[in-house]
Amino acid sequence: MLRSVKGFICRPLKLDHGYALHMAAKDCFSSVVSQDVQTPAEKPRAIFYTNESDPIKTFQEACVMVRKPALELFTYLKNSNFAHPVVRYVIYGERGTGKTMTLCHVVHFCARQGWLVLHIPDAHLWVKNCKELMQSSYNKERLDQPLQASFWLRNFRTTNEHFLKEIKTQQKYVWGKRDSTEQGRPLGEVVEQGLTRVKNASDAVGVVLKEIKQQCCLGSFRVLVAVDGVNALWGRTTLKKEDKSPVSPEELTLVYNLRKMVMNNWSGGAVVTTLSQTGSLFKPSSAHLPHELLGKEGFDALDPFVPILVPNYTEREFESCYHYYLHCRWLQHEKARTEDGKEELRFLSGCNPWQLERLSAPL
Amino acid sequence: MAAPTAAGLCPRLRAWLPRLTQVRWSRYNPSFLEPEVNKELYQKPFNELSEEEKEKQELKAVHPIKAAPPSISSSVFSDPMISKFTNMMMKDGNKVLARSLMAQTLENIKRKQLEKYHRAPDDEKERVECNPYVIFHQALKNCQPIIGLSNITRGGKTYQVPVPLKDNRKRFLAMKWLITECRENKHRRTLMPEKLSEELIQAFNNEGPIIKKKHVLHKMAEANRAYAHFRWW
Repeated sequence: MLRSVKGFICRPLKLDHGYALHMAAKDCFSSVVSQDVQTPAEKPRAIFYTNESDPIKTFQEACVMVRKPALELFTYLKNSNFAHPVVRYVIYGERGTGKTMTLCHVVHFCARQGWLVLHIPDAHLWVKNCKELMQSSYNKERLDQPLQASFWLRNFRTTNEHFLKEIKTQQKYVWGKRDSTEQGRPLGEVVEQGLTRVKNASDAVGVVLKEIKQQCCLGSFRVLVAVDGVNALWGRTTLKKEDKSPVSPEELTLVYNLRKMVMNNWSGGAVVTTLSQTGSLFKPSSAHLPHELLGKEGFDALDPFVPILVPNYTEREFESCYHYYLHCRWLQHEKARTEDGKEELRFLSGCNPWQLERLSAPL
Repeated sequence: MAAPTAAGLCPRLRAWLPRLTQVRWSRYNPSFLEPEVNKELYQKPFNELSEEEKEKQELKAVHPIKAAPPSISSSVFSDPMISKFTNMMMKDGNKVLARSLMAQTLENIKRKQLEKYHRAPDDEKERVECNPYVIFHQALKNCQPIIGLSNITRGGKTYQVPVPLKDNRKRFLAMKWLITECRENKHRRTLMPEKLSEELIQAFNNEGPIIKKKHVLHKMAEANRAYAHFRWW
């Protein structure tokens, strides 16, 4: 079960090189998670590519600091009534304060307890830099994203293997002239179908989300929907159709289906989301409050939600982060061990986790 | 020092110009003193200062002080060698980029060495050096040539004469070789920090192309030992 020892410390994510690093840290997180829930430890690890900033490669371990926002979320999740409609939690805060790590901590907690985890590492990746956009076969107005959908399906399959055998489809799905999934087949077949026929991957994602939503109200399993950068679902995209007209988010199948999942018209789980300005499109860098990042449409869609603020490090948290870096040999400079060095780090970073990590990287 | 050219002036004004002018000179009045950047000196109470330091403090009360250059910092983590190297890596005055490349290089060195540390068996763990600054300084020291070659013309022919090098020249040559090696002999897609960290670790272990270049220079100097008497300084 979750170890609530305060000495357990975190390395916040590096957000400077790009959001793919979020993905890697979260991918390696999912691998840590799945090691606890399932026994084969090597299999999940082999699938996720190791990025240069992978803490498992450098320190042979990946740790999270236990902080107040995460503990708050755990009490809420433990005391929530799963017969009521699902509660939405929005984690917000300034840049680099640890929102994504809090989300990862919650994902780890729920996976340890045996929930089904639908983790979208970065929703911003679905609304920008998409190489292949195809017209959806299911609905002529919508657009499919085969690459992103198949990537997500692969990660979903690795993290939730045993659920895929238990959940059965409740209706027949026809994928094409020759492919179809009968009623009562395990959900794993839908995922396989999405992975083998990449053209149907987005529709497979939609089917998976729909089935999980319908069946979790019955109460046999709990579902955690963890979305990082939920403000991407209601913003603008940088994608363009073939006639150069801009694409709005609801025209993307993945975004459309995810929006339905984040609604509070189902029960038996929780929805924990994070706002992120770093990957967001057309938002000023000073915007960090929910109203500014979500916009009117997003706020109305997510309303009512429980906001959770993640502040900068307190004195105690800064101390523990500093001592962890010393312990795992990350701070190598001789002067970094002195009081002067510590005070200088504290002043220069302003107790911001991201700044502290950036400063201590070359030291 | 350089000789000024006065191409457009009339002969009377040309006679007024001095024969040699200083190229690098300071506009400060000679009475201006250098600034003191060392924090520890200011934290010592007055009684503990030695005689000359007390005199210096009194002088400072009377004389004006020069402005501190932006490259000096009172941070405990600042290192003059690293600053010099960063300046040499800088192109078109883009210090921000040069500094970030240097930070990434040091980080890469640290990561590679930490990986090696964790992979090594317990008795060898002590020998793996993880401090990127130690590796940087040692690598530079290993790359410094001891003896250099200088061109001297005698009787129409130019000879390569072995010549002792000053400390500054040695440091400059080591840094210059390191940077040119990393800029030229790398694949188009590899980034500078990656290549630099690789070269620094190799130089730390006394292997790699820069150490070879140093040995080639030493061998040339050894081969031209006969002309050493041409040197007059």
